[in-house]
Amino acid sequence: MTTILAYSEKENLAGEIFIAAQELATQLGGEAALVQLDEAKPSVKVSGKIILLKANTPLSNNPELATTAITELAKKSDVKVILFGTTRFGRQLAAQTAVRMRLPALSDAKELKIEHGKLSGTRTVYGGKFSARICAPLPCIATVQSGSYQSDTGTSSSSVENIVVNVPQARAMHLETKHTSKGSANLSSARIIVSVGRGFKTKEDLAMAENLAKNMGAMIGCSRPLASDLGWLSEDQHIGLTGIHVHPKLYVAIGISGQLQHTAGIKNSKIIVAINNNKQAPIFQIADYGIIGDLYQVVPELTKLITSTPTSK
Amino acid sequence: MNIVVCVKHATDENELQNDELGKPRLNPAARKMATFDHNAVEAAVRIRDSKGGSITIVTLGDDDCKKTVKEALAMGGDRGLVILSNFNFDALMTSYYLAKAIQKIGDLDLILCSEGSSDTYVGFLGPMLAEWMNLPFIGYARDIEIREHTVKCEEQLEDRIETVTANLPAVISVVSEINEPRYTTLLQIIQASKKPIEEITLDSLKAPDFPYSQVEVIDVNAETMNRKRIIYEGSPEATVKMLIAALDSEAIMT
Repeated sequence: MTTILAYSEKENLAGEIFIAAQELATQLGGEAALVQLDEAKPSVKVSGKIILLKANTPLSNNPELATTAITELAKKSDVKVILFGTTRFGRQLAAQTAVRMRLPALSDAKELKIEHGKLSGTRTVYGGKFSARICAPLPCIATVQSGSYQSDTGTSSSSVENIVVNVPQARAMHLETKHTSKGSANLSSARIIVSVGRGFKTKEDLAMAENLAKNMGAMIGCSRPLASDLGWLSEDQHIGLTGIHVHPKLYVAIGISGQLQHTAGIKNSKIIVAINNNKQAPIFQIADYGIIGDLYQVVPELTKLITSTPTSK
Repeated sequence: MNIVVCVKHATDENELQNDELGKPRLNPAARKMATFDHNAVEAAVRIRDSKGGSITIVTLGDDDCKKTVKEALAMGGDRGLVILSNFNFDALMTSYYLAKAIQKIGDLDLILCSEGSSDTYVGFLGPMLAEWMNLPFIGYARDIEIREHTVKCEEQLEDRIETVTANLPAVISVVSEINEPRYTTLLQIIQASKKPIEEITLDSLKAPDFPYSQVEVIDVNAETMNRKRIIYEGSPEATVKMLIAALDSEAIMT
């Protein structure tokens, strides 16, 4: 019997939370199922059950309709836990499902476990200064942070069950979707991240960071202002409390002062390197290595030398 | 345009310290209006100023939370409504009581809140309010366009912008890039002290369907960040060389 449902609109996160769902299902002695909406995604490979929900109207671009479809499914089976990937879309699904089913919901949890008949998990609070262990009785809902689990590689085969659901007219109508992502930025699984902040004076100057990232085999991330306020990078590159939480082996923060809003998203990095011209910048307090200096001089120098370092190949 | 803005009197995470056991010193930690709530209040003031109407600031909390309500009133809110509670509830129960209090106000066009509070950042309030009130929800709005009986917004999601429309009344959560919140002047703060703040009890809002707060905090501990904090200062050539040597010793690039 299906006891755990997992859904994320993000493909890599779907694979991750399916692993979380399977772990919980094993603990509870049930089965986990990954929910997909509208159409099967061949790129999401999981070793287990997939439930494909369809309606006479698209579900996946409207959180309200997606909520209705998943709630209908959950009500029909004896579901103990519903997991959603932590994204802005996923949070809305979790919150609305919680009210419709009158279930408690954990937000942005990691390290999920069944303990004494409750679902427990840890989450970051107070701008990343503290970590809270929280729990809720079953049945319940949780949104799961990316980077908490290895993604399912789908080595064994999966079965797909098709279910048609009826959904009413949505209260909010989605008119248009404009994709802003510049590529398949998947920072939550990046091994090395070069991250840029307000220290860069113009958008063109980011080319320096891009060159460095290229030489290091890194992905580019940024602090909130560069994505949200300046629009130099896309929102899925925004790392921090309200953006993406990352856990690379190496995180290079360039021209980032290190406010709590940002550092909340990087504290699980193995090594943090900071480059900043302000000796007092809080980023140096949480860095393993730091260079106090002008990024306009340090970054080109680092770019030049890091390629000639044998271990960087 | 009659608008409600939900605000939270939140622990100031920047000021919060831990004790020798690594627990947060919550009492008597400084509290203030949650950072992004300023954006929700600002959005409301701008809409009210162009369309007319009034703004009610609503919160749930203890007596001290009136400080946050007063700040929102100084920014331009017209009146406050405080649901008095000495306990913290989970999002399901908090949103239930806020929804019930808002429904008592009646005749509303818009309910605004932020995407999440800066202290705990659960981020469930807006969509939960909409569900309890059976209203359309628009989340993470970076732009709000009020029309005759409808609203059109741009939702800022991670990798896309969704253009969404809904009939009024609607619940909308905003992101911080929607505006630059105003600073309040001394005069505005003095004027705000004359604006009415109504207090209501939890019991006056309870209906038979009320939910229990079931999310429990087991433990809160300071994040230990055992960072090396090795800082190089000097010429770019010298400092970069030292950094690369350090990264080599960490075998991080291999």
